[in-house]
Amino acid sequence: MSDMTRSSRWFAMVQRELQEFRGQFIIAPIVVATVLAIIMFGSVLLANRIAMLGDALFQVILSEETAGMNITLNIDDEDGDGEESVRWTVVEELPVPEEPAISGAEPESVPQPDPHPEPDIVMEADPDPVDAKEWDFSRNWTFKPRTKRDSKAERDEPPVDSLDPFLNAVHIFMLFVLIIVTIGYLLDSFYRDRRDRSVLFWKSMPVSEWEEVFTKLAVAALVAPAVFLAVSLVLQIVIVLLSMLLVWRMDMDPFDVILSNVHFGRLLVDQVGGWFLTALWVAPFYAWMMLASAFAKRSPFLVAVTPVLALIFLEEIFIGSSYVASAVGSHIPHYVGGGSAVGFYLFGPDWGNLNFLSMVLGLIVAGLLLLGVVYLRRYRFER
Amino acid sequence: MNSIIEARGLCKHYDDVHAVDSVDLNIKPGTVMGLIGPNGAGKTTLLRTLLGLADYEGELQVLGMDPIKDRARLLQQVCFIADTAVLPRWMRVEQLLDYVAGIHPRFDRDLAERFIGATDVQPKAKVKALSKGMTVQLHLALVMAIDARLLILDEPTLGLDILFRKRFFEQLLNDYFDDERTIIISTHQVEEVQNILTEVMFMKQGRKILQSTMNDLEEDYVELHVVGAAVEQARQIDHIGQRGILGGQAFIYQGVDRARLAPLGELRTPTVSDLFVAKVGGYEGQHHV
Repeated sequence: MSDMTRSSRWFAMVQRELQEFRGQFIIAPIVVATVLAIIMFGSVLLANRIAMLGDALFQVILSEETAGMNITLNIDDEDGDGEESVRWTVVEELPVPEEPAISGAEPESVPQPDPHPEPDIVMEADPDPVDAKEWDFSRNWTFKPRTKRDSKAERDEPPVDSLDPFLNAVHIFMLFVLIIVTIGYLLDSFYRDRRDRSVLFWKSMPVSEWEEVFTKLAVAALVAPAVFLAVSLVLQIVIVLLSMLLVWRMDMDPFDVILSNVHFGRLLVDQVGGWFLTALWVAPFYAWMMLASAFAKRSPFLVAVTPVLALIFLEEIFIGSSYVASAVGSHIPHYVGGGSAVGFYLFGPDWGNLNFLSMVLGLIVAGLLLLGVVYLRRYRFER
Repeated sequence: MNSIIEARGLCKHYDDVHAVDSVDLNIKPGTVMGLIGPNGAGKTTLLRTLLGLADYEGELQVLGMDPIKDRARLLQQVCFIADTAVLPRWMRVEQLLDYVAGIHPRFDRDLAERFIGATDVQPKAKVKALSKGMTVQLHLALVMAIDARLLILDEPTLGLDILFRKRFFEQLLNDYFDDERTIIISTHQVEEVQNILTEVMFMKQGRKILQSTMNDLEEDYVELHVVGAAVEQARQIDHIGQRGILGGQAFIYQGVDRARLAPLGELRTPTVSDLFVAKVGGYEGQHHV
């Protein structure tokens, strides 16, 4: 087979996935990005404190020269009764530039052990500015961007006083949508076609099970993230342009105030690199979802969740340890704050603190799970 | 010429059920074989093993390949319609064409579009918006545009009305079949396919009951229609099937000299469905074809 036809094969297979899941992978990111951009645009038009995104942005711009200014996105994972939830809240504590010590922010000259002090402004990444102040996602995974950076290289940085954290917050929100969409995709990937019997058509095409499995994994781990990253980047550029517009309306120099404070290169490297590392981390999680999808007779979701919970529970009771829980916990998409290098890399890869053993084990497990998917797909596709 | 399909002692069982029970097969290129059997006879399972969709015991080679190990390569030269209405319902017709064109090295898109153009199927339509008959036409158009050596159709016209069924088999014969291509059709509607078959195979409870070319069938089997007193005489001759006809009886004989039967009544070639009833349905069996 020539290279030409081989690449057209992969293109056809990936295109098919994107067609089938167009709503999830194409429309969803565009709609979410559009909504965020519209909110942003609304803030620009009003240019006052009504709209919260514009509001938050306002603070950044007005305190541009303030050392202790910070925007942090803080997500709680404790919800009273222990149920984990993701909550996006807005808390405003505008530091007073003249009195940085009082506000808890540190002067620029002092070395910063912690470049992200306690949240001064926490943005709400809620597309609806008036309604609900929080979103409750009762999922058993958390999505927690780190509020502290630990690695030595980052300690010397000045506190962030640009648009970067805001853009990162927008990016996080896009990734958050991506993860929800991807989980749905993986659980459906080898289940939907068995349910509607179209599996018999796909199987009549000269595509091997390995090609099929790798296509779906590639769509989940690479193609869909690429789409979301691209949309997120466009959105970030739009937001930068809109904030320039806002600043211009306020009779300030948009190039000086905004552009000089956005580190495009850094953001790009962090966001793309962060996803690359995340993909390696969550590979076993994704493979497990695919296995559940290929195995399930009725509900892939229950097949995915039940045995894992049972295993954690049994280990707790009979052995009293929690290896399964921690292994599983470290490989599902989540973000552990603080110094942990395990988890979900939203801002940038943290190679220095990486738990390579856990990552390699995760990749081996992913390989074995994919072997299982191929087996089920080859011999058990009609059950 | 080499065989398209060669199987020896082919078996497949689910738990205790022998879905396919030591079947030997040898199919030559250019054959149009009708696979005929009652429900649960193992037709679908047999076809699945040929396509590498089910594992099996025994020896099996399709186009000289192992159907399980070489499935992806095999399917470049083998097409199948495993069931009616298995085309992905969310897809548009043109998306389906894009996909097959990208995946299949032997697919002729222009030809497929020409076949589709002859139907009521619109390129922009979604599969789920098509009627069952149109879906089957679409599937057949796709399959006929693939230059394959073996085409396997498992109950391709089940649930279609007679106009669609007639057109389906006519098109298959006129636009697709040539001396090099081999087609295997499993069906209940024996009468509609028997004029395009070159060979038949009967199955019952996983076993092959009969495999014969249509020419041999005409030589080996004869049907005698008798009325009146000759009925008793005809009954005395060893027959494999008997049924009532208007005013008399019809007997089917295997390997009996025609000269001996001719004086008793009218000699005919048995239809495949009558022969099937005689061989598979048992003596005085019901017509369930």
